[in-house]
Amino acid sequence: MLSISLILFCSIFFAGIILRTKSITSGRMGPGILQPVKDVIKLFRKGTIYSDTTSIIFRIAPSVTFASVLMACMVIPFGSSKGLVSFDGDFIFFAYILALGKFFSIIAAMDTGSSFEGMGASREALYSMFAEPAFFILIGSFALLTGNTSFYKIFSSLHLGSSITYMLGALASFVLMMIAMIENSRMPVDDPKTHLELTMIHEVMILDNSGFDLGLILTTGYLKFAMYGALIADFFIGNLTALWAIPVFIFIQCLFAVMVGLIESFMARFRMSHNPQFILALSSVSFLIFLGVLLVLEKFV
Amino acid sequence: MTAIYLICAFLIAAFLFFNRNAVINNILVILFGLLQVGFTFYACSNYKNVFLQYFTFDSLGLLLLMTLTIVSVPALFHSYLYLVRHDETPQSRAIYFSAIVFLITSISAAYLANHIAVIWIFTEMTTLSASMLIYHHRNKLALEGTWKYVFICAISITFVFIGILFLSLALQHAGSSDLSFANLMAYKDQLNPFWLRLSFLFIFTGFTAKLGLVPMYTAGIDAKDKAPAPAGALLASVLMNLGFVGIFRIYTVVSQTPIFHWANLIIFIAAFLSIFVATVYMTKVLNIKRMFAYSGIEHMGIVMLGIAAGGIGYYAAILHIILHAFVKSSLFFQFNQLYRTFQSKSIQYVGNYFKYNPAGAIVLLLGFISATAMPPSGLFVSEFLIFRSLFEGKHIVLLIAVLLLLTIVIWAFGKNILKILFLPVPGIDESKIPKINPWESLTQYLLLFTAIWLGLNPPPVFVQLIQDAVKLLPN
Amino acid sequence: MTNVLLIIFIISLLYVSIANRIITYVRVLALQGVILFGVTFLQLHAIETWNLALIMLETIVFKAIAVPVFLSYLIKRNKITRVTEPYLPNFISLIIITMIVVITVLLANSIQDTHLDKIFFIVSLSTLFTGLYFIASRKKIITHVMGYLMIENGVFVLSLAVGNEMPNLVNLGIMLDVFASVLILGIFLNKIGDVFKAADVDQLSNLKDY
Repeated sequence: MLSISLILFCSIFFAGIILRTKSITSGRMGPGILQPVKDVIKLFRKGTIYSDTTSIIFRIAPSVTFASVLMACMVIPFGSSKGLVSFDGDFIFFAYILALGKFFSIIAAMDTGSSFEGMGASREALYSMFAEPAFFILIGSFALLTGNTSFYKIFSSLHLGSSITYMLGALASFVLMMIAMIENSRMPVDDPKTHLELTMIHEVMILDNSGFDLGLILTTGYLKFAMYGALIADFFIGNLTALWAIPVFIFIQCLFAVMVGLIESFMARFRMSHNPQFILALSSVSFLIFLGVLLVLEKFV
Repeated sequence: MTAIYLICAFLIAAFLFFNRNAVINNILVILFGLLQVGFTFYACSNYKNVFLQYFTFDSLGLLLLMTLTIVSVPALFHSYLYLVRHDETPQSRAIYFSAIVFLITSISAAYLANHIAVIWIFTEMTTLSASMLIYHHRNKLALEGTWKYVFICAISITFVFIGILFLSLALQHAGSSDLSFANLMAYKDQLNPFWLRLSFLFIFTGFTAKLGLVPMYTAGIDAKDKAPAPAGALLASVLMNLGFVGIFRIYTVVSQTPIFHWANLIIFIAAFLSIFVATVYMTKVLNIKRMFAYSGIEHMGIVMLGIAAGGIGYYAAILHIILHAFVKSSLFFQFNQLYRTFQSKSIQYVGNYFKYNPAGAIVLLLGFISATAMPPSGLFVSEFLIFRSLFEGKHIVLLIAVLLLLTIVIWAFGKNILKILFLPVPGIDESKIPKINPWESLTQYLLLFTAIWLGLNPPPVFVQLIQDAVKLLPN
Repeated sequence: MTNVLLIIFIISLLYVSIANRIITYVRVLALQGVILFGVTFLQLHAIETWNLALIMLETIVFKAIAVPVFLSYLIKRNKITRVTEPYLPNFISLIIITMIVVITVLLANSIQDTHLDKIFFIVSLSTLFTGLYFIASRKKIITHVMGYLMIENGVFVLSLAVGNEMPNLVNLGIMLDVFASVLILGIFLNKIGDVFKAADVDQLSNLKDY
C-alpha cells in the first residue's frame, strides 16, 4: 500500500521536475511543477474525437495501457514493505503486463490506418524487443544473487557489500535507467520534442488520440516514469526503516527526474540507425552483470 | 663456442650495417661464411652436448644446421652477384647483407634451442631480419609485401606466445616451471590435457606462418615474391624448416600424452587444406616466384601429412624437408638468371629459355622433376615413403584425395615450366637478351645433385641422424 | 577489485564494437592500459619489487600513454579519415562480440583447474578474439594495428594470470609488446603513410596473382 501511494504521489511531480530542469538549463524560468497535471486535467474535460477508420481497439487501447501500468505498479515493493501484490516470479508478470499495454498501444496506432503511425509503431516494437533481454537478464541476475524470485524478496535481501557488488549495483542502476529512458520514449533514444517524420517514435503513435484518451495516455507516461524511478530507488533502500526510506525514495526520484532533464538538455538524440545497437549494448552489459553475479556467488572460480 | 658464434655473428651484422665500403663488405661476408661453416663443424663434433643451458646439438638441429650452411653459402654468393649487377647504393647493400647475416644466425640459433621461449625469441628476430630483406627494393609493392609479412608474423608470434602461456599453465599443474623440452618430456604424464590442447593449437597456428601451412601461409607467399631471389631462396627453404622445428619439438612432447590423436587430427586438417590451397593457386598463378612459393606450401603440407601419419612417415618427413630445402633454393637461385634474360617475372612473357641459357634451362628442368617428386629425385623417395605411411595408417580416402591434388599440381607446374623452357614468346626482341654465364648455374647443379644423392644413396651417418631425431616419437 | 577492473575491461570491448570514430579506439586502448596498470598492481604480489615496478612502468607509460599518443599523431599526420569504415555494420559487430564473450564464458566453465582465476582466462580470450575480429572486419590499416594492440593487451592479461609463478613470462610478454609495437607502428605505418596517401586496405591489394 505504501509503495503504490508513493509512486502515485511522485508521478504527480515527475514530469514537472523534468520540464522545469530543462527550462532552467535553457535559461528560462519555465512552467510550474504542477503544470503537466493541470494539462492532463484540462484534457480530461475535453471531448474525444474518434476517426471513422478506427475500430474498438482504438477506443479501448488507452484504458488498457493505463490499466496495465497501474497493475505493474502494484508489484513494486517499497523497501521492507511489500507492494500491493507480491508472489514468486512477479518480475516476469511485471515485464509482460507492461508488454501487454505496449502491444495494445502499438496495435491501436496501426488501427488508425495511418502509415505514419505504423512507422512509429514498428520502431517502438523493435526497441522494446531489444530492451527485453536487458531487463530480464538484469533482474534475473539479481534473482540469482539473492536466491528469490519476487521483487519484494529480491530487494529486501540484497546486500551490497564487497566492491564487486557495488559495481554491479552501479551498472544495474545505469542499465535500468537506460531501459527507463527507452520505455518512456526519452533521450537518447527518442526525442519527445521532435515532430519530424524521420525521427518520431512514440509521439507519432498518439497523434490521433484526443481529449480523455490523450489525458489517459499522458498520465500513463508519468506513472511509468515514477514506477521505474521506484524500481531504481529500490536498489538502494533495501533495508532502511520507513522513516529514513521515504525521504531517500523521494530524493532518488527527484534526482532521477533532474538527471533525465539534464540528459535531455545536453545530449542530442542518437542517429536512428544507432538506436538498435545502443539498446543491444545494454543487453550485453546486462550479460556482464550476470557474469559478475556468477563471480560473486563463486559458481565460477 | 656457441656464445662466440652468436657474438661474432651479431658483430659482423652490426659492422655490415654501418659499413659502406664494398671491399670490407665482401671480406666481412666471407668471414661470416667461414664462421658459419666452422660453427657447423664444431657442432658436428660436439654431438648431443648442451651449451649455454639453452642450446643442444641434437640430431634434428644438427641436420638442419648442415642444410642451412649448405644453402647459405650459395645464397651469400648469389646475393653478391645480385647486388653487383643491380648497381646498389652502399646503404641498401649494407642493410641487405647485415639482414641476411642476422637471418642466418637467428635461424641457426633457433634450430639448436632446447627451450621453447628461446625458439620464440629467435623466431621473432627472423621476422625482423626477413622484413628488412623483403623491403630491399623500397617500392610500393615491396612495402605492401613487407607490411603483410610483418603483420601476419607479428600475430603469429603472439599466438605462439599465448601457446607458451598455456603450456606454463599445463606445467603448473605438475608443479614445475621450467619450459625446456627436456623438462616437458620428464613431466609429460602430469601435464593438464586441457591446457596442453590449447597450447598445442596456438603454437601450431603461430608456427604455420613460418612453415607455410593454412591458416597463416599468406605472409610467406608475398614475402618470397618480393624479396630478392637469393633472400627468397633462404625464406623458402631454411625459414620453413624453422617453422617445422618449432612444431616438431612441441609435437614430440605431445606425442607421449593422451592428446596425441587429437593433435594428429589438427595436423591432418591443416596439411590437407594447405595442399588443397596450393593446388588451387598453382593452376592460376602467373608469377614464377609465387608459383615456387605455392609449390613450397604443397611440399610442407605433404611433410606434415607424414608427421601426422606416423610410422615411416616421421623419417620421410625429415628427409623431405632437407631435400626440399636444396631443391627449392636452387630453383630460386636459378630465377635470377631467368629474370635477367627476360626482364619479367610473369610466365606470359617468358619462354624458350632453352635457347638462351641451356645450362640454366636444364637446372629448371631438373628442379621441376625434383620438386614434383619424379624418380631420379630424392624427393620421390621421401614422398613415396609418406604415401606408404598414409596407406599403412589406413588413411586411404585422404591418400586418394592428396594424390589427386598432387596430380593437378604436377600438371600446373609442368605446364608452366615447359612453357617457360620450350615455347617461344611472340614478339620478343632477341637483341636485348644478355648472355648468361653458364658457370653461374653450377651451385644449383650441386644442390640438385646433392638432393638426388641423399635421396637415392644416403650415407649411413645421415640415415642414423634422422632416425635418432625421430626416436622419441611413438613406434 | 581485480574482478571489477576486468569487467570494466570487457565493457570497453563492447564499447569499441559500436564506436564510430577512430579516436574512440585510441581512447579505449589508453583506458585498457590504465586498467591493466591497476590489475598488475593488485595481482602480481609475489614477484620482487624491482621487477614489478618495471612491469607497471611499462604498462602505464607504453600502453596507456606512449602508444595512444603516437597513434593520434599518426592519424593526424597521415590525414586518415576519422570514421572507422567497417565491413559489417556495428550492430552485427556488437552481436558477434557478445557471442564471443558468451562462448568464452561457456568454455571457461568447462575447465577444472584451481590454479587459474577464470576471469583472467575469459577476459584474455575475449580480447584476443575481439582483436582478431577487428582486424578481419575493418578496412583501414590503422584499425588493423589497433586490433593487434588489443590482442597484445589480451595476452598481457593472460600472462598476469600466471605471472606470480613465472615472472619471466610477463617480461617476455612485455618484450613482445614493445618490440612488435615499435616494429609495426614506428617503422611501417610511417612509411605507409608516406607511400600510400590514404591508409586504406584497399590500396594494399596490388599484390595479386597477376
